[in-house]
Amino acid sequence: MAFILPFLALWTLFRVGPVLYGILISLSHWDPFGSTTFVGAENYLRLLRDPRFWEALGNTFEFASLAVPLIVSLGLVFALLVYGAQRMRWVRVVEAALFFPYLLTVSIVGLVWRWLFDPDFGIVRITAKQMGVHLPVFLNEPRWAIPAIAFATTWWLVGYRMVLFRAALEDIPVELYEAAQIDGARWYTLIFAITLPLLRPAILFAVVLTTISGFTAFGQVLIMTQGGPGRASEVLALYMYRIGFDYLEMGQAAAVGVVLFVIMLVLTLLSFRWLGYGTEL
Amino acid sequence: MEGWSVLDGKYGRREFLRLLGLATLAAAVEAGLPLKAFAQVRVLEFNTLFHSGDAQAMERIVKLFNEQHKNVQISLTQGQWAEYYAQLFASVAAGNPPHIGICHTSRILDVYRALTPLEESRAGNLLAIAGIRGENYVKSVWDAGVYRDRRYLVPLDTHMWGLWYNKDLFRQAGLDPEKPPETREEFERAADAIKAKTGKFAFHPAEDALPRKIRRAWEILFWGQGGELLTPDGKRAAFNDERGLQALDYLVSMIHKRGWNQPGTDGFKQFAAGQLGMLLAGNWYFPTAKASGVNFGFHYMPKFFQKPVTWGDSHNLVIPRQPARVPDEMLILAIKTIKWINEHSDMWGIYGGHIPAYLPAQRSKALTESDTWKIALRKFADMAKRGWLHYPLIHEKAPRIHAAIEPFIQEAYNGRLTPKEALSRAEAEVNRVLAS
Repeated sequence: MAFILPFLALWTLFRVGPVLYGILISLSHWDPFGSTTFVGAENYLRLLRDPRFWEALGNTFEFASLAVPLIVSLGLVFALLVYGAQRMRWVRVVEAALFFPYLLTVSIVGLVWRWLFDPDFGIVRITAKQMGVHLPVFLNEPRWAIPAIAFATTWWLVGYRMVLFRAALEDIPVELYEAAQIDGARWYTLIFAITLPLLRPAILFAVVLTTISGFTAFGQVLIMTQGGPGRASEVLALYMYRIGFDYLEMGQAAAVGVVLFVIMLVLTLLSFRWLGYGTEL
Repeated sequence: MEGWSVLDGKYGRREFLRLLGLATLAAAVEAGLPLKAFAQVRVLEFNTLFHSGDAQAMERIVKLFNEQHKNVQISLTQGQWAEYYAQLFASVAAGNPPHIGICHTSRILDVYRALTPLEESRAGNLLAIAGIRGENYVKSVWDAGVYRDRRYLVPLDTHMWGLWYNKDLFRQAGLDPEKPPETREEFERAADAIKAKTGKFAFHPAEDALPRKIRRAWEILFWGQGGELLTPDGKRAAFNDERGLQALDYLVSMIHKRGWNQPGTDGFKQFAAGQLGMLLAGNWYFPTAKASGVNFGFHYMPKFFQKPVTWGDSHNLVIPRQPARVPDEMLILAIKTIKWINEHSDMWGIYGGHIPAYLPAQRSKALTESDTWKIALRKFADMAKRGWLHYPLIHEKAPRIHAAIEPFIQEAYNGRLTPKEALSRAEAEVNRVLAS
C-alpha cells in the first residue's frame, strides 16, 4: 500500500478531484466572473428540455457507431496483413505510412481533410469529377458530414490500433499455429480459433480507447464543419464547448460533461462484459 | 482526446541548469512579475482575432512597435475569429489573460465583465494617463465603447461588407467594369450576364459561407427592408415576418433558382481563383484580393430593397481584466501601447483594409494616397458617412441568439428547409433562448 500511496495521492488530486469538481459545477450556476449558487438538478433538466442537446447526443452516437468499429476493425485487418507479410521487402514502409497520420495533431488532420473535401478545389471532388463521378459536397451535406469526419478520424487513428494489434500478435506462440496446421486447420480457422481469442485483451483495450475517442471527438469536428451544416454534425463535446465558452453557461456545460462521462463509463463496462470480465488490460 | 509525450532527452548538469534558468524566467514572465531583476525588457501579451490579411497588417504594426521600443516588446498571438472570445473568457477566468485584446463593439454587452474599465482601473484613469481623448476618434464608434457608464473600449477601426467584383469577367460578360451595379435590377442583370457569358460563378453572397456569414447576408437583405431581429424591448424574435421571408427567399433564389453559385462553396477562394464575378465580403478581403492577382474592383453594397444598408462592426483595443498579481505598471504600459497602435493605425488601413477610427490616422497622407484607400477604403468610408452601416444585434444573449438563427438560415441556403420553415424554427429557438 505504501508503494502506491504517492501515485494514489497524485491520481486523486489530478484525476478524481477535477471529476468531482466538475460534478459540483454541474449542480451549480457557476459564473467565472461572479458568484456560484447551488441549483441542484436544474442544469440537467434544462439539458433535457434543449432539443439541441438531443440532436448533439444523436450525432455523437452516429459518429461513434461509425468511427469506433471502423477504426478497430481496420486496425486489426491492417495488423493481420502486416503480420502476414512481415517477410516482404516493403512491409516496414507500409507500416510506417499507416502509422504516420497518428503523429499529426488533430488540427492538422482537420485542416488536411477539410481541404481534401473542399467543394471547389478539393482533390477528392476534382479527381472524382475527372473520372466522371459526381460526389456530394461531403462537409455541406447533413447525410455525409458525420461519415466524412468519421472517415478522416479513422485515417488518423487507425495506425495506432494497428501497432497495438501487431504487438499483441507477436505474443501469440507460433507453435499454436503450427499444431493447428498439422491438424488441417485452414487460414480462417487459425484466425477465428487462435488469433482473435488470444487478441482479446488487445481488442478490449482498443475498443475502450477508441470508444472514449469516439464519444469525445471535438477538434476534427470543430475544424472540418464547426458542427454544420446546420447542426448536422454538432457532437456533444462541441455542444459542451459552445455552451461553456461561447455562452459562459459553465454549469450546463459541466452537466453535458457528466452525461458524456456516464455514457463512456457504461460503454466501457459493457465492453468488459462482452469481452469477458477476466480479460486483463 | 488522444495524445502522446516525448521526454526522453539526456541532459548534462550544465544543460539542466540552463533549462532551469530559462524556466524560471518564463515562469516570472508568466506570473507578470517585475523583470528588472532578470532583464529590462517587459513583454506585453497581445491577443487578437485577426486571421487573414488583417492579421498580417497587425503583424507589421507590432513589428514596428518592437523595433522602436527596446524595453517593451509585444508578444502577438492571432487566432481564429470564432474561438477568440471563448479563449478570452477562459484566460480571464483562469487568471492568465493577455495584457491587450480586441473586442467588437457589438460584443460589449456580453464581454464587458472580462474587461478592465479604463477610467476606473486600479492603476487610475488609464485614458487620462495615456492622453487618449474622444475627440480624436470617430464619434459614433467612440460613443459605443461605453456600457453602464463605464468605458471599456478604445476604437481601432470600422469595418463592413461591400461588393468586390472581377473586372475581367465583367468585360467578358459585356458589362462596363467601371460601372458596377448599384441597384437590384443592375445587380441581377450583371449576375445573369456573368453566368450566361463567362461560364464562371456569377455571385457569392457570403464570403466563405460559414453559418455566421450566411446569416449576415440574410441580415443585410432583411435590414434593407427596415427589419430588426428582436422586438424593441429585446424580449421576442421579430424576424419571422414578410420582410424576413422576402430576404431569405431572395438569398435562397440566388443559389437555387438563378444558379449564380452552389451551396457550400467558399466565395473567398472562388474570387481569388478568378472563378467568381461578384462577392459580398468585408474590407479585410483587400489584401487577399490584391495578392491573388485578380483584376478586381470594389463598389458600394447594392441597394437590394428599400434602403441601402450593409453589415458592419468595429474592432476595439481593450485591456482584459487583469489578476491582482499583475502590477499596475503593466496596465499603464498596455494603455500607452494601445495609444501607440492607434497613432499608427494608418498602417491598419493600408495593409489591413480597415477604416481607422483614430481620425489623424484616417486623414493621414500615407493612407489617403494608398491604393487601399483609392480602390476600396474610400468607398467603405463613404458608406459609413452615408449611414449605411448597420451593427449586428447588441444584446446580452447575442451569441446564443445568432447561434439559434444560423443553422436554419444555412439549411435554407443549402436548400434543405424552405425559407418559411427555416424562419419559423429559428423564431421558436430564439424565443426559447430569450425566455431561458
